[in-house]
Amino acid sequence: MSKNNNCMSVLTNGIIKENPVFILILGTCPTLATTNNVVGAFGMGIAALAVLFCSNILISLLRHIIPDSVRIPCYIVIIAGFVTIVQMLVQAFFPELYKMLGVYLALITVNCIILGRAEMFASKNSVIRSGLDGLGMGIGFTLALTAMATIREVFGSASFAGISIPFLENYKIEFLVKAPGGMLVYGLLIALVYALTHGKAPMKKSFSCATCPSAAYCNTAACKKEEEGDK
Amino acid sequence: MIKSVKSTFVLVSICAVIAVMLALTNYITAPIIIKNENAAANDALLEVLPDGGDFEKLDISTFTLPSTVTDAYSAKNGGYVFKLTTTGYSSGFVIMCGINADGTVSGAKCLSSTETLGFEKTYGKELVGKNSESIETVDTISGATKTTAAYRSAVKDALNSAIILGGGSVDIRTEEEILLDNLSSALPSAEGKFSKLFITEVLEGIDAVYTADNGMGSVCVVGEDFIGVDSEINVISDVSAEMAENISSQLKNLFASKATEISIADYDGLPSALLSASKTESGNYILDLKGAGYGINGGNEYHPASGEYIYICVSMTKDGKIIDCLTVSEEETDGIGSVCADEKFYGQFVGKTEENYGDIDAISGATITTDGYKTAILRAFQSVKILEGGQG
Repeated sequence: MSKNNNCMSVLTNGIIKENPVFILILGTCPTLATTNNVVGAFGMGIAALAVLFCSNILISLLRHIIPDSVRIPCYIVIIAGFVTIVQMLVQAFFPELYKMLGVYLALITVNCIILGRAEMFASKNSVIRSGLDGLGMGIGFTLALTAMATIREVFGSASFAGISIPFLENYKIEFLVKAPGGMLVYGLLIALVYALTHGKAPMKKSFSCATCPSAAYCNTAACKKEEEGDK
Repeated sequence: MIKSVKSTFVLVSICAVIAVMLALTNYITAPIIIKNENAAANDALLEVLPDGGDFEKLDISTFTLPSTVTDAYSAKNGGYVFKLTTTGYSSGFVIMCGINADGTVSGAKCLSSTETLGFEKTYGKELVGKNSESIETVDTISGATKTTAAYRSAVKDALNSAIILGGGSVDIRTEEEILLDNLSSALPSAEGKFSKLFITEVLEGIDAVYTADNGMGSVCVVGEDFIGVDSEINVISDVSAEMAENISSQLKNLFASKATEISIADYDGLPSALLSASKTESGNYILDLKGAGYGINGGNEYHPASGEYIYICVSMTKDGKIIDCLTVSEEETDGIGSVCADEKFYGQFVGKTEENYGDIDAISGATITTDGYKTAILRAFQSVKILEGGQG
């Protein structure tokens, strides 16, 4: 029972409590770049989810085989491989989305969420937990991107997923679709998430390992020491 | 040692496995991607040739097509689509043009351009339904003459290319090339280099004279005929003896005519536009004039005035009829007023007198240039009257 609960919390962690975009502040570049329309943002989220899920599972499978000294190159090769596979599939089956995402699809390779989860979670946890973590983080990323894109597209272009909203046609805030508008919406959403999770989100404490959402999986000496100290 | 060997082995193995996975994915997706890309390209082609389909790219290097054609596609309905790259007001003007099986324009669209006024976006519609002859009747747009003329000419190239690809033959030479070809065939020894002669004598029945740059002779244009004359002024083309005699005697007269400069300071009341004047032995005048066009009288924030006059050379009989006219230099607005340096413009003054010199076609969009030019020509008539002893 407790094991099931544990697995469930790994899955839900990524969605709110450790949301990669709003809490961990990872993957900022694609977040800002692809959220000017809902379709692009959702597609980006799903593509990243697929890569995260696959790479987390594979890295977790190989965690006892990959030597520590070459782990980062190994992770990069695995991630880049999955990204390229996703890219080819999107190009073949969703050419419109492929055109929309442009270079950002290929740039999932260097998305720090994926490398971050590989390094912090998948390399230290079982296959099932890693898969769930990838799924949870991917869903969190997708939801965050879609939420942000909804705000930007609805108020910036007076449309949702390409369907125009006539009511808002004359009240467009075109600034929101541009990069600075993205930054503004991002900042406001971070503030909102912080306010909503007040007292729960780890960010509220001071800056130390204890406040770090990844502290539980982190094996740097300082974190270990603090964790033990807590106990 | 063992550790590093193991690391290397693991990394290489992972790379190999990933490479195999990529190869498999590529094997599945590559044909679909190519199909998608072709479909997207087809959509672009369908836009200008809606009845087409099943487009097939042609190897244009196997045909002699106009140089503007960069890509050609054939459609299953017998039509063609051409991608053309030309130069309007500036270079890099790319047009996609569809041609129906019956040789008419089905659609034309500007793909990219850096033209200034935006007419390239709409002008294509006016060309739809035209064939290689009727396209000449479509007017260019005043004020955007260069853009629209380049557009029309490119679409005409597409029409001609469709005829060529369909197995027909068509003259794709430009006017200059046709003239040069005619001149060269009349006088092959000139090796294809000619200059138009500025005529100072009244010639009967000869429209223009071109001299070979290498001194091997000249070519007279009589109506549609190009008649070669060697350096000894003997007619070498096959013409009637009477015509040959007429041409050689007139040319001898022309080449022998000498002009003496007149001291214009000795005359009162000569217009200031007159820079210098010479008189030939036969009594004709050669006048150098300056005209105040857009460079002097024009200028706005978009097209500043250059501050330069238009310099014009005119030869005229003593009773006031223009023998020849030439724009020597100009600094008018590029592409608009600069048309005054085109023979199509200044050639209009040949044969005109003070009574009818105004009956020429003005330069579209360049009223100030045209007016300045006409005023200079009027000053030429006035100058000749004064030089002849009358009043200007």
